[in-house]
Amino acid sequence: MSFERPRRLRSAYSGLTAHGESWVWLTGGALAMAIAMITGLLLFIVVRGASTFWPMPLERVELVDGRQVLGEITGREEVGQRVEEVQGDPAAAAGPQRASAVGIRMARRLVRTANFEITGNHYEWFDEPKIARTSLPEWATAVERLEGGRFHGFPLRLVHATENSTEVVAQGPEKTWQAYEQLHPAFRRRFREAMHIDKHQRGVLQRQLRAARMAVVQADLDRGRKSPAYAAAVEAEATIAGRMQKQSAILDGQTARLREQNAGWGVEFETASGEKRTLPLDAIVRGWQPNRLSTIGKLGVYFSRWVEFLWDDPREANSAGGVFPAIWGTVAMTLIMAMFVAPFGVLAALYLREYASAGFLTTAVRIAINNLAGVPSIVYGAFGLGFFCYVLGAGIDEIFFQPSLVADNQPTFGTGGLLWASLTLALLTLPVVIVATEEALSAVPNSMREGSYACGAGKWQTIRRIVLPRALPGIMTGLILAMARGAGEVAPLMLVGVKKLAVDLPIDGTFPFVHPEREFMHLAYLIYDVGFQSPNSQAAQPMVFTITFLLVMIIALLNVTAIWARSRLKRRYVSQQF
Amino acid sequence: MNNPADRLVAVAAGKEVPSEVHQQVLDERPVLEIDRFSLWYGTKQALHSITMPISHNKVTALVGPSGCGKSTLLRSVNRLNDLVPSVRSTGDMRLNGDSIYDPSMDVIDLRKRMGMVFQKPNPFPMSIYENVVYSLRIDGENSRGVLDEVCELSLRGAALWDEVKDRLADSAVGLSGGQQQRLCIARAIAAEPEVLLLDEPCSALDPMATGKVEDLIQELRGRYSVLIVTHNMQQASRTSDYTAFMYLGRLIEYGPTTEIFTKPILRETEAYVTGRFG
Amino acid sequence: MTRHIERQIEQLKEKILRVGTLVEEAISKSITALINRDSHLAQRVMASDEEIDRMEVEVEEECLKILALYQPVAADLRFVVAALKINNDLERMGDLAKNIAKRVAQLAAGEPCELPPEIRLMAMQAEEMVKQCLDAVINADPSLARQVREEDDAVDAARQKIRKKVLQGIKEHPENVETLLRINSVSKHIERIADMATNVAEDVIYMVEGDIVRHRTGD
Repeated sequence: MSFERPRRLRSAYSGLTAHGESWVWLTGGALAMAIAMITGLLLFIVVRGASTFWPMPLERVELVDGRQVLGEITGREEVGQRVEEVQGDPAAAAGPQRASAVGIRMARRLVRTANFEITGNHYEWFDEPKIARTSLPEWATAVERLEGGRFHGFPLRLVHATENSTEVVAQGPEKTWQAYEQLHPAFRRRFREAMHIDKHQRGVLQRQLRAARMAVVQADLDRGRKSPAYAAAVEAEATIAGRMQKQSAILDGQTARLREQNAGWGVEFETASGEKRTLPLDAIVRGWQPNRLSTIGKLGVYFSRWVEFLWDDPREANSAGGVFPAIWGTVAMTLIMAMFVAPFGVLAALYLREYASAGFLTTAVRIAINNLAGVPSIVYGAFGLGFFCYVLGAGIDEIFFQPSLVADNQPTFGTGGLLWASLTLALLTLPVVIVATEEALSAVPNSMREGSYACGAGKWQTIRRIVLPRALPGIMTGLILAMARGAGEVAPLMLVGVKKLAVDLPIDGTFPFVHPEREFMHLAYLIYDVGFQSPNSQAAQPMVFTITFLLVMIIALLNVTAIWARSRLKRRYVSQQF
Repeated sequence: MNNPADRLVAVAAGKEVPSEVHQQVLDERPVLEIDRFSLWYGTKQALHSITMPISHNKVTALVGPSGCGKSTLLRSVNRLNDLVPSVRSTGDMRLNGDSIYDPSMDVIDLRKRMGMVFQKPNPFPMSIYENVVYSLRIDGENSRGVLDEVCELSLRGAALWDEVKDRLADSAVGLSGGQQQRLCIARAIAAEPEVLLLDEPCSALDPMATGKVEDLIQELRGRYSVLIVTHNMQQASRTSDYTAFMYLGRLIEYGPTTEIFTKPILRETEAYVTGRFG
Repeated sequence: MTRHIERQIEQLKEKILRVGTLVEEAISKSITALINRDSHLAQRVMASDEEIDRMEVEVEEECLKILALYQPVAADLRFVVAALKINNDLERMGDLAKNIAKRVAQLAAGEPCELPPEIRLMAMQAEEMVKQCLDAVINADPSLARQVREEDDAVDAARQKIRKKVLQGIKEHPENVETLLRINSVSKHIERIADMATNVAEDVIYMVEGDIVRHRTGD
């Protein structure tokens, strides 16, 4: 006879927790949420940022009262009751009971009307009930101008105005536009050439003159007004001034010629409200008829605006044009910051881990470094300003750049610039690098060190040949984190060297090629400035997203490069198996 | 009849007992002389006045239960214990006549005259070639011809040449455990060491790899002076010419391997090798 | 804690002793049969040799097993090697006892004859030697083993005497030649038993002291 032991009834709960099912759901859910949030944010940025430059259709909005506007409809929102406006009766706005009784919800549209100098607005809200109808006229043209923002209108004719007469080169929208497309590239080229001459070549001359003038002041300070050195310097200055004048005259002639060629040519437009305006041909950056363009045409406009964004200088207080100086500034600053933080951080961590004897002092130093990471970044900015600029910078100025101080009261290193900004951020990210490097160094197995010592290597040889290569992937991780953090910091930069608009690049083609004392532009600061300080906030908003998108892309690119480098190092130096 | 572990009991009680050294060992020419060497980790004494000569071009095995100090003694030979802060030692060792623990002895120089292989294979994170010629490079030797020759000789000597000659530039960490250990042996013999120190070289290897390394040790016999620490009795009996039995930091018996494993002088040694004790 | 190999060695010791006991009995019985001319006893002795042979094989296999599986060293190794050799010697002693029993049967079949008194003495001495050497094995007693070696001389001397007597007897009474030859054979066997006992004693000395004293005199 068989005997079966009765099985204990197991509760469903204990079974699940024993298998860990509930934990799987919990942990998986948390991860999914995190990924969803990050992806959501990135998607949001990408979608808003990437769509800024897509040519939206231009609609002619006819209002009930007969007014007509031409613009892009960029937004729509529902608003609460505007009792008085709907009823047309101001008296009816009395009393909250009355208002709630009439509770009408309606929508209004945000239209980019452009033509700032005419309407006084870049954007305007129109209540939907007031809109009679909308249409998409074929020849509605959007024009980006050098100054004054956007212009919306219909091309009438292309004219060439001289002193005496006005010649009509083309008439009618189609012919006008054909002529425009033929002539425009050359005009733009001439315009750019003139700009280049003004900005760069004249700039070079200015700098030479200034250097000569500074030499005079320096001689004065060194030797005194009576000395032969002073006299020589004055003479040199005079020579250079004279030469400069001659060259300046030549340049003037060149620019005058170019400008003359461009002068007088323009396109006459008619706005939706019937006004006529002539836009000079070289003041038009770009024009397009969004309602006429095919998808390929729109793509063309889209890409050309992207190229402008990436390569051109900003216009319109940073709300239009390109952000090239900011990109350049961001990359330059990040790289210089990495150049400073890498050796300092690695060497400091090397000393702490390898050479310092374990004791109270070492522990105290380590704690101090770890706590540095918690200091708010604006404090670093204040430190950078107070110490680097006002103490170190002032000291350098006293010794090397006195003439500038004396003559123009203009500090060279005594104010913010590329060098101080990079150093400040290097200081900010130093704890990250030190901690990551220390971790990487202690992860190197002691058996490897012993093996090296047993072969008769000294301490530094062991570090250089064995420990550092093995720790390199970890060190790179620290650098990646540091660069990512540093590239995104805004607060300290505002105090030590970032400007809203910088004319010169901090690294350019003029000797000595790197100008550590120059102020520069930075993408993160630009986001703040464009988003919150811009006069044309509605136009600036899409730019904010685009700049954010760009910044994220740049940092991602830097990170991907570093990660690729790290994985190559890992494969070379660290084994997967025992 | 006496308890065969009498002497060991006395040792455990802290008494000093004389060690039994067979005459054959003393007749051999020594490459290393350990002279009344004692070592302390902080306050704990790990080695008690060890005196023993290590014979030239012979394989000497150090056996004993865990904690008997055999690894400590080995690491003291190339002064690797100097890296441990709490270590203190008295006594001396002489390598071919040169005092090892003399304050004026350059430790780096000393270590270059010896080679060491550790329990866990520790190839450096570089190519196989660079691993083997490491000792020469840190000495400043960079001539390609010399390095190539040394590399081939050492790898042949370590019975690894045929397996890796086509991939000398590959990373050493991609080799199997047994190959890595043979690489470490090649690295150790590349500098023509006066004495080769092996610290339980087969503990971390599978039986096949262990067999290969033991065969290698057999081949090194007669060309190198080898001091090997092992907890595996059969390994000691298979590979060594002389065996020293240590217990609790003291040398108990030291003689030719054949004698130790057929008729040791001391009952204590017999008790240990037959497994009655430890 | 007793290790496995110790248990195996104890078992081996027991087996050897059992073989030894059987052999001792066989020798004793064959001598008794000889003196009493008891052919039934002789038959029984001859039959019992089969078991001795069987046990010998068992002991040898046991030794090989220990060598292969446990790789004994030092004292353990010496014991196993000695056991192999003692086992062999014991088996041959058993064979010799069987041969003596065979002669007894033959002698009983033939005409009654006087046994020289030396045979009896020799036999008793040989028996004593066998007992002593087995004791030496049990107790691992090298001094007892050395004693056994010395006693062998007396047995050899007695053998010589008997040989002379047999030769003389053949000359004087040629008709008794068969009987006398058988008696000679018996004395040879007894002398060989004593030699075997000496071998065992030497094996014991090796087992305990690790000294191989074979072929060495005066040790």
